[in-house]
Amino acid sequence: MNPKDLFSLSFEALVDRKVRTLLTIMMVVLGCSLVVVLNGLSAGQAAFLEKQFNTLAANVIFVSSGQRGFRDASAGNALIINNVVVEKIKSLPLISDVIPEYTGSITMDSQGNTERASVTSVDPTKLTVELPNLQYVDGSTVNPTDRASAIVGDTIVHPPGADNDFVTLGQTITATSTYSMPGGKTVTMTKNYIVSGILKPSGNDRIDRSVIINLDAGNELLHKLNKYDQLIVTAATPDDVDTVQQELTSTFGKTLGSITPKAIMAVRQQAASGNAAFILMVGIIALVVGAIGIVTTLYNSVTERIREIGTMKAIGAQNTTILALFLVEAALIGVIGASLGVIIGMGGGYIMSIATTTTTGGGGPSVHIPPIFAPMDLIKVWLLSLTLSIIAGIYPAWKASKLSPMVALRRE
Amino acid sequence: MILKNMTKDLVVEKSTQNEVVDASSFALKVENLSKIYDSSAGRVVALDNVSFAIKKGEFVSVVGPSGSGKSTVLNLVGALDRPTSGKIYIDGIDIFSLGDAEIATMRNGRIGFIFQSFNLINRTTVLKNVKLPGIIAGMSSEEVNSRSIKILEALGIADKKNQKPVNLSGGQQQRVAIARSLINNPTIILADEPTGNLDTKTGEDVFDMLKMLSHKFKRTIVMVTHNPELAESTDRSILLRDGRIEKDVIN
Repeated sequence: MNPKDLFSLSFEALVDRKVRTLLTIMMVVLGCSLVVVLNGLSAGQAAFLEKQFNTLAANVIFVSSGQRGFRDASAGNALIINNVVVEKIKSLPLISDVIPEYTGSITMDSQGNTERASVTSVDPTKLTVELPNLQYVDGSTVNPTDRASAIVGDTIVHPPGADNDFVTLGQTITATSTYSMPGGKTVTMTKNYIVSGILKPSGNDRIDRSVIINLDAGNELLHKLNKYDQLIVTAATPDDVDTVQQELTSTFGKTLGSITPKAIMAVRQQAASGNAAFILMVGIIALVVGAIGIVTTLYNSVTERIREIGTMKAIGAQNTTILALFLVEAALIGVIGASLGVIIGMGGGYIMSIATTTTTGGGGPSVHIPPIFAPMDLIKVWLLSLTLSIIAGIYPAWKASKLSPMVALRRE
Repeated sequence: MILKNMTKDLVVEKSTQNEVVDASSFALKVENLSKIYDSSAGRVVALDNVSFAIKKGEFVSVVGPSGSGKSTVLNLVGALDRPTSGKIYIDGIDIFSLGDAEIATMRNGRIGFIFQSFNLINRTTVLKNVKLPGIIAGMSSEEVNSRSIKILEALGIADKKNQKPVNLSGGQQQRVAIARSLINNPTIILADEPTGNLDTKTGEDVFDMLKMLSHKFKRTIVMVTHNPELAESTDRSILLRDGRIEKDVIN
């Protein structure tokens, strides 16, 4: 029997049992699209992290006062980072610059609209040390000494899902910061700033979600009392980073935490790949469930079509032809299910990435991490779904091919 | 094992050579055919050492009461089942010396089946049903198409070719089945109670059609029936009783 006739006979058999075929296809679609969604989302996450890393200068070390996960029982008191510490670090060898930062979160009003935002309080001329590729939109000015001027990141200007810009150059924004005084009293501080500069999308999520004001302004707004949250220490060359980090540890011990973007990246990637493995497993389980659905459907189909199989054999169909007919049915279910699954999975991935748009710490506006669907990944998932479908068809098809024609014909 | 296969091959060769002489005159030759069913209910001898031969172009009816073994004969001749002992030659070929795949090819090319309950595939068209054995045989689509239409025209149901069999009357469905049995130009047509599911008038029409095929187109037909009137209208009747041939008469 030529392949065209084989396909047309199998296709007719599937069409004959529309509802059941559709339900089975749906099972494959579910499994396949789940794998596509999960793969796409985790690939998107990985690429997002990668981008964060790539925007950072290679000679940067983040230094903080041991609060961010570096503190353990033996750490003793965390070091308070003030100008004395800054000067001391500057005096160490192989260091080209030390950039202090205050960070915090605020509520920001702009022309009657309110958004949460992160504040990065830093000498704005030093931003390019951390992010060498940083660019401003036309008309921006940087006034390092002006306590009332602010630079805003791209995500603040274009919050995800909003049609209009949240702020424009030259306008005034009102920032409100809330902090606790010793004794538990809560104080609210409100300040106005003029937007003097807007950053082009930098690719660095932290900066894109930040309002940047100078150190004096930040010290006042966030009530930091000259205690820096973070220092960005730059080594003379990228090759000196490890030496500098060791030097910092030997000088300050565990009272000071330091980490390189490379190390942050490694930790995050490890977590992400662990997640990816887990979600892939979930997806594959869904696919296997779909495959079991195919076994059930085709097995029922064989039972119902015993007489037909008997007739086919009586008029001369080979066992291999019967086997092929049922395998092609399984393959057709697989091809349709996998193809729809890939398409629906891609759509679903985008919808889910929008639905899961969240404030990822820092209190800034939400981030949208789009999923990434690598063609090679999609082809792999498609092939996996198809293969599982065909494997699922083997047992029912074999069962059908082995039926004795006489027994099959006698069946009412 | 090798020795056994070799002797088997030799035997096949020998018998094939013997039959070459007969093949010119006989479409079907049955030799000492027995079929015994062993089941928990006991031993049932369905056929007991039956022998007969059917000439090309003969229209033979096999008659007998229920349980006489007439369906068993048909199943064995149609290579749907294997005998306990004995041989069947179609076109001089010892069919049970063949493997399953060759037997399937045999059924496809040299045997045409007509069943009591038609056994058409209802989800597809009349035309496709008729074409199916040709498709299985690997006939070109032009050839199988033109042959099918010619046969449907000869049987007077060409206008139904695009309908589904379920929408046809019983008589029409059986004509589709007859058309299907003819598509590969078989040596022998086996009809198992072809009128059994039809009313008297329609049954007669279908029978007349088989008769027409026999007379006009010289087809060899073996028909199992328990209708004595129809049996008398065939060229020859083989009467079975208790698995043996009781009578073999030329009508």
